[in-house]
This record gives sequence, C-alpha cells and structure tokens, in this order.
Amino acid sequence: RGGLAERLCRLQNRERSAISFWRHQCISDDKIPSDKSGVLIVKILEIFEECTIQVAICQQLEQSPATLSPEDAVINAEEPIVKVLFTRETAAHLKGKPQDVIHIYPPWQKLLLQNSDVPVIMNTYFSQKVIRSEHSEPREKTYGLTKMLIRKNIISLAETFRLDDLDDQLHQESSDNQVPYAPQTHHNSDSKQHPSALSAVNDSLLEMVESQGAVGWREVQVRVVIQRVYCLPAREGSRSHAQGNKPLCAAPVVNSDPPNVRLCLLVQDAYGMFSEVQLQSLSSTDDIEQYCRRWEGKSCCLAGMKILQRTTRGRALGLFSLIDSLWPPVVPVKVPGQSQDSEMMTTNLPPPSFCYILTVQSGEIHVEVDEEEQLSNLYQPPAVHGLKEILRIDGWNERCSFWAQVLYRRLQTKHSVPIDQREMLLFVTDSTLQNVVHGIPKVVAVSVTASCVLSVEIMEALSAGSRLVFFKDALWGNGRIICVERTVLLLQKPLLCSAAGADLSELTGPVRLDELDSTTQANSVCALRGTVVGVNESTAFSWPTCNRCGNGKLELCPQDRKLLYCNQCSEVVTTPVLKMQLEVFLSCPSRSQSAVKVKVWHEITLFVLLTTLLFLQTYEVQSVLGKEVGLLNCYVHSVTSHPNCVALEEIVLL
Amino acid sequence: STLPAVAEELLREVKKAFQETSQVPDELLLGLKFIFGPSAVPALDLVDQCSVTRVRAPSGRILYQVLGNSGKLYTCYSSCHYCTCPAFEFSVLQKSESLLCKHILAVYLSQALGACQDLAVSDEQLTNILLAEEEDEG
Repeated sequence: RGGLAERLCRLQNRERSAISFWRHQCISDDKIPSDKSGVLIVKILEIFEECTIQVAICQQLEQSPATLSPEDAVINAEEPIVKVLFTRETAAHLKGKPQDVIHIYPPWQKLLLQNSDVPVIMNTYFSQKVIRSEHSEPREKTYGLTKMLIRKNIISLAETFRLDDLDDQLHQESSDNQVPYAPQTHHNSDSKQHPSALSAVNDSLLEMVESQGAVGWREVQVRVVIQRVYCLPAREGSRSHAQGNKPLCAAPVVNSDPPNVRLCLLVQDAYGMFSEVQLQSLSSTDDIEQYCRRWEGKSCCLAGMKILQRTTRGRALGLFSLIDSLWPPVVPVKVPGQSQDSEMMTTNLPPPSFCYILTVQSGEIHVEVDEEEQLSNLYQPPAVHGLKEILRIDGWNERCSFWAQVLYRRLQTKHSVPIDQREMLLFVTDSTLQNVVHGIPKVVAVSVTASCVLSVEIMEALSAGSRLVFFKDALWGNGRIICVERTVLLLQKPLLCSAAGADLSELTGPVRLDELDSTTQANSVCALRGTVVGVNESTAFSWPTCNRCGNGKLELCPQDRKLLYCNQCSEVVTTPVLKMQLEVFLSCPSRSQSAVKVKVWHEITLFVLLTTLLFLQTYEVQSVLGKEVGLLNCYVHSVTSHPNCVALEEIVLL
Repeated sequence: STLPAVAEELLREVKKAFQETSQVPDELLLGLKFIFGPSAVPALDLVDQCSVTRVRAPSGRILYQVLGNSGKLYTCYSSCHYCTCPAFEFSVLQKSESLLCKHILAVYLSQALGACQDLAVSDEQLTNILLAEEEDEG
C-alpha cells in the first residue's frame, strides 16, 4: 500500500506536462484538433461553483453545433444531460457561460452516481470552448462589460461521505487491522459463549447475585473493573512435604507438588459494590506478576458465577481492610433505584459493609478480561508511599504499598513447618528512611505471614541477593508492617503510582543500620562496634548445615554413613555449609550499661574446611581480648533487663 | 449540491477497487487529485504513513486522530466534516474553497483502504480529547 502519494505525484506531473503541451498546441494551431475520437461535445445550460470546482449542467451533443444554425439553439429534450466538472484553472481558461459549447478531449472520466441518472464528467483538463466566429463579437462585448456572476453553492459540513453500505459495515470492521472493542462482540469467534444465548451486559453485581437460581441466571453477564489481583491459599487441606519415613538416599525426589493457591480478583461494579472472585488454582505462583500486570485496572465480564459466601466486615477484616483502601471510589458511582443515567457524587457514601465471594463453576471459566482496553476510570492503583510516611500513618489495619530494598531475611526457625509455609521477617529500607538523620529507624521489619502467598521467583530473589521489592497492599497496624492474605510481593516496579511522594529510585551508597543503643529491641537489626572483653569458649563449635535450606540439623545417611542427609529437603547434602559459632562479649559504648553478647559465626564450605580447622586449633583467647570490633551488622535475638543483656547474632546483609 | 456526491462516489470506487485488486488504479488517483486538488497528495502521504487512528468509546462515539507531518495530532469528527487543523478553518470554513482538509481526506482514504489504526478508550477519555481541542482554540 505504500507510496500512493509518490505515485500520484508522478501521475500528476505527467498530466500537467500533457495539459500544458496540449494548451500550447491549441493556441499555436488556433483551431480544433482534427482527431474527433473520444471527444465529448457539450453545451452548457447552467453553471455554478462548489468549493473551487465549477459544475456545468450540460447537454451532451452528438456533433459539433458549428454546423447548426442559431435557430437550433432550442434545447432538444432527447439529448442527455451531463454534469461536467471543471477545476478552477480550467474554468478560468474556458470562461464558460450558458449556451457555450465545449469540446472535452480525452482523457476524461465519467462517474456514475448512485442516486442520480445524470453522469458526471471529471478530469476535464483538455477542454476547449468552441467559438462561433460569426456571432462571437457582439456576445463577447456584452459579456465583457458585465462581470459574470456565478452562483456559488456552500456545501454543508454535515454532508459526510458514507463509504459502505449497511451490510458492508461489519465486513469493513473485520477487514481492518483492529481489535474488537465492544464487549458483546469481543469473543464472537470463541466457542465459549454464543451471542444469542447471552443477555445484555449488566453493570450490577447485586442484581446478578439476586438473580441466582432464576431462569437464565447463568447467561447474565456483569461488567466490572478489576481493582486487585492476588492469590489466596486454598483452605482445603495443607500440603506437607516429605515425611521422615521416606526412603533415604533414594534418587532425589523432585518436590513438584503444586502450591495450593487460587487466583483471586477483587472487582468493583458501576455501583461501587465489591466482590471477591475466586478463580482457578494456579499451577505456578510465578504467573501472579503477569496477571497483576495484565489484568489490574481492566474491565471484565463475569458470567455464571456461583456464590460462595456473603461475608461482612466483622468476619473478614483482611478483605475489608483492602476494600477500605479503595474507598471512596475515584469516579461517581451509580445509585441503585435511580434512573440509569443519573449518578451520585461519592462524598458521604458509607463504605461497604458486606461483600459477596464468588467462584466459578467447575470446569469453565466465565471471566473475560478486555486486556487490550485502556485502564478503567474506576481503577484505583495502589498508593505507593515512602516507608517514612507509612510509619507515620495513624491508624490500625490500614493497607499500604511501598517499594523497598530487602536487606535481610530471617525465616522462622520451626522446622516442623514446611519452607513455603514458614513465616518470615524481612528487614527493609528505602531512601526515605536512609536519608533521615534522627528520629526514625533506618530499617523496618516487615513480617510475612504464611497466608501471604509468595511466588517462587520472589523466594529465590530474596535468598539470592539484595532486591528491590514492591509490597502491594501490606497491612500497617500497631507499629508493624505485615504481609498477610491479599498482600502481593512483586519484583517489578508498579506502572501506576497514585502517590506523588513515591520514590522508586534505587538506593545510592551503602545501607546503614541503626546503631545499637538503649532503644534497640528484640527481633530487629542493628550495627554495633565495641571491644572484646570476653569469649565464651564453651559455646564455640562448628556444625554442617544444608546448603539448600540452611537446616542445621543434618543427619547421617543410614545407607552410607559418610554422607549427610537433610530431612527438610529430603535430599542428600553433598556440599554442606560449615557454620562456626563463637560467642563474644563486647563492651559497646553506645549501650554501655548492658552486657553485649554477640554470636559471631561464619559460613565456610567444605573446601576450605581443612584450613579453618587448622586456624581453630591455634586459636587463642588471649589474642582477641581487647580487640576492637568494627561495625558489625547484627540481628537482635533478645534484650533482657535483668540481667541487662543483649544477645545478638552477626548477620550478613543481602 | 453535487460535489459531495461525486466525492463520495469516487471514494467508494477507491474502496471497491482496493478490495478487489488490493490496488488503487491510476485513474482513481487522478480523480482524487481532480476533486480534492492540493489536498490529495498530502492526504495519501498521511495514509501511506498510517497516520489515522479511529478512536472509539463504549458509548459508540467515534472520532479520528490524524498525526500530521509536523508531529501535531489533529482531531477529525466522524459525524460531520470538521478538523482541528488551521487549514480546515481557513480553506473550508472561511473561504469555502475546499470540501475537506488533507486530514479529513486521509480519514476517508484510510477507511477505504483499511488503513485505520484502532484505539479503544473510555467515554471519559474521549470527552477529554474533545474538550482539549476547545481549550486550545480558546
């Protein structure tokens, strides 16, 4: 299709030179060219102008009237009427008036209009007026004196062109490169739903719910906006990993049990009502990030939903804390009972007190998301705040979203609980906390409960290295941030941030922790410096740990007592990580009143084991007393007042 | 009036020829030049560059946005001949010298040749596009 303009340019240039050549020839020859084939002979009856085109209503003549007498000037009704169009330039050249006879030489074009019998002649560049020499002079004189006025028709702007017939309309739409836009025709080609079976798309969840069980309720479609996408752990049973009685030292068992989670949507209809839609079980939690990106903020049609539950604020605090964070709606919502067209402002609307939890009929998915569509106006993206602002929120059970760097991860130590169901403590920070000198902590602990579903990707990222993580809809309350059900941790920056203060930049410079002082509490991280005042020799030892899960309680493989076995991973540990522990007592000027006991440990792989053992044997307590210990990053195990003791553990930040 | 009917028929012929042969014959191109004058070549150029977008809203309202050569985006109405470009204001509205400006012609040609890009927006977003034009002129 390309190059139409270029083609026309070339054609036009050729035409122009042909026209000027022809005109020149006419002038020089000063007579009608003898070649009569294809010449159109017309007599102008009426002439007017539209835009710059002159329209001449003419009578088409059989032969040149030069041979006819003036008496035959009566209009012969038999002769066909044509409309001849002339461009401004041709018209200026012709100076045509009624009764003039014009010869139109080829190439000219004839166009037949749909609703008219009168053909239209176009491309009339090669036109010449026939002058009847015997009568010309007086006529010319008369017309020369009065400037001829040609009626100009003003064309209405409303006269648009319709390029297709009614049946053409649909055909034309499908032949263009386009994405179908109307929800009704969106999946016309899909076999899932037949347009004839579906009623018009509704916009009220309540109506859909109330029509459950009535005739035709399965076909009722509701159009809603997807506000949030998240995963919920399924309630039915919990999967546990391999038990201790599995055969040991067998071929490594690949733990491919799918995590029991369901993809859920929090949707809102045009009346502002919310509903949680529980969709299918996910085979892999890695898709959650994809779903969030593709679906959040888009409209979708729900059909054939089954009501799982009608829950209320008192019974589902977690769900309603999320709903509250989306209230009030950002655009006016409809009010039930009033006419469809009127809308109410959203001030003074009470937050919802109930919510329906819907699920899909087994086997079929009745959710169609308009992924190509723009984001709905009703969508409220998570309000991203800096951690400093979040710590200042005055409220309980508030949902908050932030983008932070995870410095350290601490898994709960209950080994009886499978890894993916363990609670975690993540120590995070961002530039709003790091850049402040005094008054607020530099690092905040985020507790991740087992009900917060984490994707494998996130888990890997958290153990691999310091990562920036987007915490979507975490809960803030009682001075703590917790990730619970409906909180989603994502690795990608949010596309849409609805808070002006959100700072999504990376941290520049090294991360600093708060120094150990009198306000330090248990289960936090801090940095310390001090002097070694004692060493607890009795607790100094080393032990092997599983390189996969960190399990420190490895067993000997019964089949082969030389190998170590981890019953958490149900696998043989071929390269255990050797941990060495030493408790050191420090005197720290920042917390001089307390005895500071630091468990210092190092990880070493089996390769350097020999060298280290050698080092241990020559280790002398005397050599370390009085030694200055630099800024150590530590995790605070406990803080006791009687005795005034702080027990810490040296950590390595991610 | 005659010209609109002629223009419409010409564009229909273009569409028909293109649908049948995937090409636009020379005579029709010259016909476009004859009827639309100096707008013809620029309009075809805009079509060559796929500059026309058909913007639809769920309400059913449609408008067209044409990306001009200067990089400016002009809005053309579908319900009547109107374009936000200065040439339209001058040649069509003031002087009644042209039926259309090159952008509106490009819209029709894109329709005929199936070269429209499609964009689906919300009713509010479409309203904003229309209101924005008002502000510019004000």
